[in-house]
Amino acid sequence: MNSPKTEHEVLQTILRKAYREKENVEVGDQWQQEVMRRVRNLGALQPTPGFPEMLEQLVWRLAPVTCLLIFGLTVLFAVSDFTSGYEVFQLFMNGTEELTFAQFVGL
Amino acid sequence: MDNDSSTSGDAEIVGQVVAGDVHAFEHLLRKYQNHVLILLKKHLPYDQIEETAQDVFIRAYQSLPTFRGESSFKQWLSTIAVRTCYDFWRKHYKSRELPMSSLTEKHQVWLEEAISAQASQSFHEQSLQKEAREILDWALDRLSAADRMVLELVYLEGYSLRETADLLGWSIANVKVRSFRSRKKLHKLLTHEISGLDRGSTT
Repeated sequence: MNSPKTEHEVLQTILRKAYREKENVEVGDQWQQEVMRRVRNLGALQPTPGFPEMLEQLVWRLAPVTCLLIFGLTVLFAVSDFTSGYEVFQLFMNGTEELTFAQFVGL
Repeated sequence: MDNDSSTSGDAEIVGQVVAGDVHAFEHLLRKYQNHVLILLKKHLPYDQIEETAQDVFIRAYQSLPTFRGESSFKQWLSTIAVRTCYDFWRKHYKSRELPMSSLTEKHQVWLEEAISAQASQSFHEQSLQKEAREILDWALDRLSAADRMVLELVYLEGYSLRETADLLGWSIANVKVRSFRSRKKLHKLLTHEISGLDRGSTT
């Protein structure tokens, strides 16, 4: 019986040889025409866009999200009660000696 | 020198194709068709070679605007070919049923004889390669797509870890670990078959 190392080496030699034999398979010669037909169907290539074009694409891609965000924030500001917040702030600033913490939090 | 002129010639043709001359692509196709075919023949089943060769060149055509000439066109095309083979095996392994059958007794005997100490040099040279190929295909079919590709590139073709990493787009560490594991899996699969035969013959 061979040692495991020799066994592995022999196995590798056999398998490598079998693997290389696969190169000898014959393949038809029609596929190249099919490639060119498909390439012609695809047409001329579009050049890769430069940095300004990519930036422009990014800006347009983000435009709907930005519009939605602006609309959402506008609605939020419109429905928020600014007045009460402002009044509490003024009360707190003007008459601090009269306003205890308990009153401020409504207890 | 020839290599340099060939590389600059390729870059020139690539420039023409990217500029809109579709027909110039045929030069690249004719020049590298054999190189791609040799790669595909080793990695794929016979009936998939032509179709995959078409896919490789179509992918190459569509990716031409991204070709920067940092490596040679041949190397760049090899990368596309190897990754297309990997994609084929990933799809194939997803849709297949897990093969459970073991090697036939004929194959087991052949394998045992091939690696036994009694086997002479002439056995390796004259024995039927058909059996070896069938055993190899059987074993590779039991590995994952990633293990299969690494094993074929490193163990069977003799590519370095760096070359394999470049071809597959993986890190060298990943290739190294996978290469070690897949080789162990292969040997375990085959030696398990031989030990199975031994057990069968003693009972």
